[in-house]
Formats: sequence, structure tokens, C-alpha cells
Amino acid sequence: MLRKLSLVLMLFTFSAQVFANVAPAKTPKPAKKPASIDTQLSIRLDRDAKEARLLIPRSQLKALRAELESFDDGSADTAASVSIAGISRIQTIVSGVFISLAFVFAGVWFTRSGKFSSTAGKVVAGCVVVFAAGAFATIVYGNAGPPPEARSITGKMFTQGVHDYGVGSGKIKLEISDEETYPKLIVPNQKDETKPADE
Amino acid sequence: MQEIRTGRFELTSAHVFLVAFVAACAVAAVLIGSFPLQLSIVTIFLFAGPHNLMEFRYFAARMPLRWGRSRLYYSVAIGGVVVLTVSYLTLYFASGNWLWSLQSWQVFGSVWNTAFILWVGLLFYLRGKQRRRDWSIAFAAAFLLAGLAWIVPQYWSLSLVYLHPFIAMWFLERQIRRTRPDWLRAYHYCLASIPLFLIALWFAVSGQPDLSEETNLFWRIGQHAGSEIFPSISSYLLVATHVFLESIHYFVWLLLIPLIDKRALPWKLSDVPMFANANGIPKVFVAFLVFSVFVTVALWFGFAADYTTTRDIYFAFAIGHVLAEFPFLVKML
Repeated sequence: MLRKLSLVLMLFTFSAQVFANVAPAKTPKPAKKPASIDTQLSIRLDRDAKEARLLIPRSQLKALRAELESFDDGSADTAASVSIAGISRIQTIVSGVFISLAFVFAGVWFTRSGKFSSTAGKVVAGCVVVFAAGAFATIVYGNAGPPPEARSITGKMFTQGVHDYGVGSGKIKLEISDEETYPKLIVPNQKDETKPADE
Repeated sequence: MQEIRTGRFELTSAHVFLVAFVAACAVAAVLIGSFPLQLSIVTIFLFAGPHNLMEFRYFAARMPLRWGRSRLYYSVAIGGVVVLTVSYLTLYFASGNWLWSLQSWQVFGSVWNTAFILWVGLLFYLRGKQRRRDWSIAFAAAFLLAGLAWIVPQYWSLSLVYLHPFIAMWFLERQIRRTRPDWLRAYHYCLASIPLFLIALWFAVSGQPDLSEETNLFWRIGQHAGSEIFPSISSYLLVATHVFLESIHYFVWLLLIPLIDKRALPWKLSDVPMFANANGIPKVFVAFLVFSVFVTVALWFGFAADYTTTRDIYFAFAIGHVLAEFPFLVKML
């Protein structure tokens, strides 16, 4: 009996030492992602502007403030808060599923109703397809205007001088705007007045 | 032999109705355009409770005692109203819950919107089946709307605020078709005049600055009309538009529908199946009616004591009457 008790005691003693050396469970540390919202920045060269101005839409400022508040609270749900232009991934997925279902149900209804078999139905369906294709083409070609350098904010926008230094700085005014949809950077682009008039 | 006929203008009740409607809209547009905040407060104080009472009375008169072939339709309708109202109130009053982040709350809101849209789509489908027609296109429309409600939930919620008054106008149109078809053409002219009044109202108030947000009440009124969703549009214009449409909707429920349908007169209980029929439930009906009158009076006292809080509570519970309108409207199609 005494031997059994000693054995159990030994087991407890050693197991305590063994478990004491087990590395603590790795709890994933929440990555402190800076509060941000995805948006677009447009840069406009303005001949009339006297100073550089950065216009921030009030709606996006509110979104950023909400993001900051939820970040401060630690309640930011990263899966849902990953958003493009204020639309989260969940919203995009569910919305896409529903719109797809809408097309499927409309198609089934249209086929079942027999409207497609009549001449008028074929004409209407043809018109819808042509209209949709035209609208799509308009969107595609309508956006094909500016050159690639003007469609994304990359180093190609800047002159060799800026590239040589790798940095450019200057005074800027931060403003809140009710009119703008996206942030806009207005850059003064006045004519060089030092140039001779006869040039 | 030639017969000469002279067309003589004869003043009918439809003409009187048209002139009265247009004149009332003109007076309302001028008053609301001049004092949108004040009229918002006054109209809700005066008409919010009574118009709910009139709606309840109207729906009670239309509710059959025996559902027969409509059993499934009414079961889905009443079940939907109860479940959606309870879930809406849960979402509304739990929105400050520390367990729910902003994103969670938005997702729950979108789920509620989806359930509501699909419920209305189902009602259309069931009504189509009753009429032996294929109205399954309602599902396609419902899914499309659900998609939009997920992608732009804030616009969806606001659109409900602005579309609600038009539901009353649609009810009136269906009722006129049934009981006063000779007024239908005049009513269509009335409906056509509403966009003109709105354009005139927008033209008149477009240059006005934003309304004051110095008190919580003023801010809530502006927010309800969409001032936070459309920050670039003057809140003066938004509130004026909302109050104008809401006023027409009160006008329809309180005055025009009882005028068109004698069964909707509050004191004429002999036409209410639940009350007058031998198999009816008169005691339950009277209890509901007395309770509704009590709530209406209590709302007036509440508004007088604390307008802002009562307004918030009223608009939360008002979702019940908004939802109850759909089954009866779809049933009239």
C-alpha cells in the first residue's frame, strides 16, 4: 500500500515538473492593424489653385471615425471590415448570390411563361441583350480615357527630380468637403510667370 | 339630317375631389416648405396615433373570419408580421449592446431586410397562386432587391421611409377601383400632381441652408429624412419632402379612405366580420379597439411629456403597421 502511494506521489511530482516545462499555449496575438477605409484618391492639377489642398469627403471622414472608434474598442471584426469603397466582403458575396438568384429566377420565369417563344418575346429579349451589351460597352469604353499613368497612384506620376530624392514635401491644407465623393488632392499648376512673354 | 350635340361641363363629385386634393396639397406644400421642422413635429403629434387606429380599423373590416383557400396566405402574412416586428424591435433596442460591433449590427440589419423582402415576394407568389397566375417573377424581383439591400443597406432603409407614404396612396387607388370607380381618373390626376408639387417644393427650398441640429430632436428629424446619408443635400429639402409625403399619407388614411369606403368608418362596426358575424369574436375585437384608442391617447400624453423619446419609441413600434399593410395590399391585387 505504502509503495503504491509512493508511486502515485512520485508520478504527481514528476508530472508537475514535466507540465511546468510545457510551453504555454500560443494565443494568437491580434495584429494591430491600423484603422483604415479603402477609397480612391484623385489628384487634380489646378491652374487657379494658390496652394495645395487635400479634400476629404465628410462621409468618408465619418466612416474613418467609426473605424477608429471600433478599433479603439477592440471590436473591429476584421473579416467583415475588409472593405472596398465601404462595402465589406460579406456584403459583396451575399449581394452577388442574391443578384445571381434574381437572374436565374427571372430566366426560369421567362422561359416557363412561354414569352420567349413568341416573336414579340424574342424581340424584347434581343433588345434587352443589346441594351445590356451597349451599357456594358459604354462603361468599359467610357473608362478607357486617361492613360495608365493617370489611373493609378504610382511612382510614374512623379518627375525624375522626385525619384532622385525619393521624397517630396510641402505645405498642404486639409479640408472637409460635402461635395466630394472621394478624397481629392488639388495641386497648384500655375503658369510659369518667369517665362518671357514672347516665348 | 345632322344632329348637333353640345358638350356641357357637368360638375361631378370626382371634380370636387380632384380640386380639393390639389388645393390641400398646395396648402400643405406651402406650409411645409415654410416650416418643415415645426410641421414635422405637429403632424406626428396629431396624426401618428389616429392614423394607426384607422389602419387597424380598416384592416379589421377586411379580415375574413374563415380563411378558406387563403389559409396559407394569411398564416404566412400574420406569421411574417409577428416575427419581423419582434426581430426588428429586438435589433432596434439591442443596438447599443456591447456584444455587437457595428459590423455585426449591419449584418443583422441586412438579414432582417432580406427576410422582409423575401416575405413580401412570397406573399405576391401566394396571391398569384390564388388567382391562378404565375407570379413567381416576384422571387426574381425579391432577390434583386435583397441584393441591393445588402450592397447599399443605408439607401434601402431610407427608401422604405420615403416609399411608405406611397403604399397608402396605392391602397386608396385599389379601394377607389372597388367602391368609387367613377373617381379613378380624377385620382390618377391627383397622383400625377404629386411629382409636380415635389418639384415645386424642391425648387423653392433648394437654396435653403441645412436645418438646425442644435437639439437631439432636430437632429433625429433630419437623420430620419436622410441628412446623414445625403450630406450634400440640404436637410431642409429632405425634411420638407418627407413631411409633405407623410402628410399626404396621414390625409389618405384619416380622411380619404373612410370617405371612399363606408366600411372603414370607425363607428360603423356592423360591417366588421370579427364583430358583427355570429361566429365572430366581438369581445376580443372591442378589447383591441379600446386598447388602440388607449395607445393613441397615451401617445399624445407621451408626446406632450417627452416628445423626442416618444417619437423614437413610436417609430420603433410603427414597423408593425408598416408590415401589416403589405398582406392587405397584396391581397387587393
